[in-house]
Amino acid sequence: MTQHRRARAMWTGVLAVSAASALLLAGCSGDSGGDSGAQEFTFTFATSNNLESPYQKLANDYMAANPDVTITTNPTPNDKYGETVRTQLQAGNASDVIQTTPGSGDARGLVGLAEAGFLEPLGDTATSLVPSGSESLFQVDGKTYGQPLDFTIGSVVASLGNPFRMGVTDFTWPENMTDLYASCDTFAAAGGSLFAVAGAAPPNTGLMTQAIAATRVYAETPDWNQQRIDGKVTFADSKGWIDTLQTVIDLKDAGCFQAGVEGGGFDAITNGLSGGTSVGGFIPSGAAIEIAAAAPPEANFQVEPFPAEDGGKPFILASTNYTLSINAASEHKDAATKFLEWMASDEAQQKYYEYSGELPVSAYQQMDLTGTIYEPIVGLLADGSYTTLPNNVWPNPAVYDALGTGVQGLLTGQKSIDDVLSAMDAAWDQ
Amino acid sequence: MTTTTPARPATAARAARPAATDRNRLMKFGHWWWALPGILLVLGIHYVATSIGGFFAFTNWSGIGSFEFIGFDNFVKIFQDPSKIGALLNTLFLAFGSVILTNVAGLLLAVALNRGLRTRLALRTLFFMPVVLSPLAVSYIWKFIFDYNGPINLVLKSVGLGDLVTSWTADPTWAIWTVLVVITWQNTGFAMVIYLAGLASVPVEIEEAAALDGAGMWKRFWNVVFPSIRPAVAIATTLGLVNGLRVFDQIMALTGGGPAGATENLATQVYKQSFALGNFGYGAALALVLTVIILFFAVLQQRVTAPRAEV
Repeated sequence: MTQHRRARAMWTGVLAVSAASALLLAGCSGDSGGDSGAQEFTFTFATSNNLESPYQKLANDYMAANPDVTITTNPTPNDKYGETVRTQLQAGNASDVIQTTPGSGDARGLVGLAEAGFLEPLGDTATSLVPSGSESLFQVDGKTYGQPLDFTIGSVVASLGNPFRMGVTDFTWPENMTDLYASCDTFAAAGGSLFAVAGAAPPNTGLMTQAIAATRVYAETPDWNQQRIDGKVTFADSKGWIDTLQTVIDLKDAGCFQAGVEGGGFDAITNGLSGGTSVGGFIPSGAAIEIAAAAPPEANFQVEPFPAEDGGKPFILASTNYTLSINAASEHKDAATKFLEWMASDEAQQKYYEYSGELPVSAYQQMDLTGTIYEPIVGLLADGSYTTLPNNVWPNPAVYDALGTGVQGLLTGQKSIDDVLSAMDAAWDQ
Repeated sequence: MTTTTPARPATAARAARPAATDRNRLMKFGHWWWALPGILLVLGIHYVATSIGGFFAFTNWSGIGSFEFIGFDNFVKIFQDPSKIGALLNTLFLAFGSVILTNVAGLLLAVALNRGLRTRLALRTLFFMPVVLSPLAVSYIWKFIFDYNGPINLVLKSVGLGDLVTSWTADPTWAIWTVLVVITWQNTGFAMVIYLAGLASVPVEIEEAAALDGAGMWKRFWNVVFPSIRPAVAIATTLGLVNGLRVFDQIMALTGGGPAGATENLATQVYKQSFALGNFGYGAALALVLTVIILFFAVLQQRVTAPRAEV
């Protein structure tokens, strides 16, 4: 082969590769959907395990009901979800529909994402689902950016069958702290514990403390968060928060937690409740469905309130934990909007309850919860003895992190109550 | 016999010189041309990306949306925050602790497995095996070992030392040591291989001559072997120090930075601030501090362990 032939062959090859690359790139970046005819969109949601997500099931149901629609789902690990979604939105390759959370206390909080211009304002259907008095968690400048899905109870998920598995036959869920500490003694003597806590996982120590704070802080001062926003109160000077953290220390000293609680991960809760060595855990109500799947039928899970102090009134956390939002840069907004409209329908809300175990936001007040895991707290829901999850209202994720890591410090003796509350104030003001 | 080279005609020499010069220029141009993609990739991936990250250290960017230039505020905040000073001290503790332990253990293993032992090849493989395993997988196995209900506590209870039972990875005193143990266990094999390579270059004759002169084992090692493996020491300690300064996987898997921040180092703080808490600018400032520290110690290390000129 001559020099000229080799050069020609080389240039032919270069051109062919270039043309093929251009075609490939065009194929990748082309809009293969559009809003007319066959529709498609992408949907990102968080997942914590290898079970089929309720969101995946709902997407499948929607596609079955709408054969011309294709939903590409992107299940994303829960522990990296916030940063993944933020990175994708910043890079311009986020999904059309995104699972978000209300407020700004979380990396996936919709307020921060909306303020940065990454979310599309939603319509009247989403706005109609926003709980009265919680508008600031779902709206920015009067526009709604997240469609509420669930009504999650943040209290104690307890197995009323586990006491029998530990040989304790006369147990009823304690209604005051005296009975609770007596139960702690009973279960410790039986080789178990009343509570299983993931002491090394700040999200769990944080949720536990907030559930206790419901009775010590928010029962008496439901607008405490607003007062903190207005600068009228601080964590460090709040008697309610001091009592809350003192209760955590008292519970530890009374042997209410499993041995080695400060090193426990989420597996400590799953193993304790499904294995029958602990009675209750501070986990979202929907998680009871997943743990029940790993436990024997007699485990009998219920959502129970944490007792108030003597003379106090029972109070729980109950609010929307998850929302659906539409990516402002989406090229399939019509298809995404129709999906969100369907998610608000009674049919989809009922399916959501069946698949996730979470109460549906639009229908929980009309539902008959007799005989369900929610039966013990029906009265509290009916008379409004609940408040929204506090950290959804807090201004940044650092406050909740200071609480979660601080409580682990209380369990190990590294920190004092004042250390923890002062750190929360500092995080709030940063 | 003599040979004579025919003189090149002057005209031919004049004609050949410009042609050779042109060819040299073309070759030089060709060298740059072929190297260009690589150079651009290195510049783009290593230096431009890092420089952009460094720029954000002087902003208050949250990771999304707009940002403001805030000068050195992030750095002032870092050095005024006791938890970040604690993370810095943990970084140095883990780096120097792991360098000392892995190099001492690696050198001892290398000397022991250098010659003589029949099973040395199999033993070298066994000791090197942890190096090729995923740090995350290794850490999760060790987490089980250190667990409150794990084998260490079971052994302690079974031998009547129940009072010593603790949550090792959540104990404020012991948690940082559990991280150090895992790093040392996994990286010793790497130091061993470097020292084995260094020992292979030590002439046996000189050792034998020293022995004949009456030098004992320690004197032979210190006066003959150790000077010969100085380059290996430089490589092993420098790489160990750089790796020790940026430990991340082991901490995240074993303790998550806990209990209550007791095992946080700069690398875990960079991740936590940048991605979990949405303080990207602050996280970038921490990363810049970590980079400067690594550079400082790497250069210092090279200076200390560099071969000295003969006097």
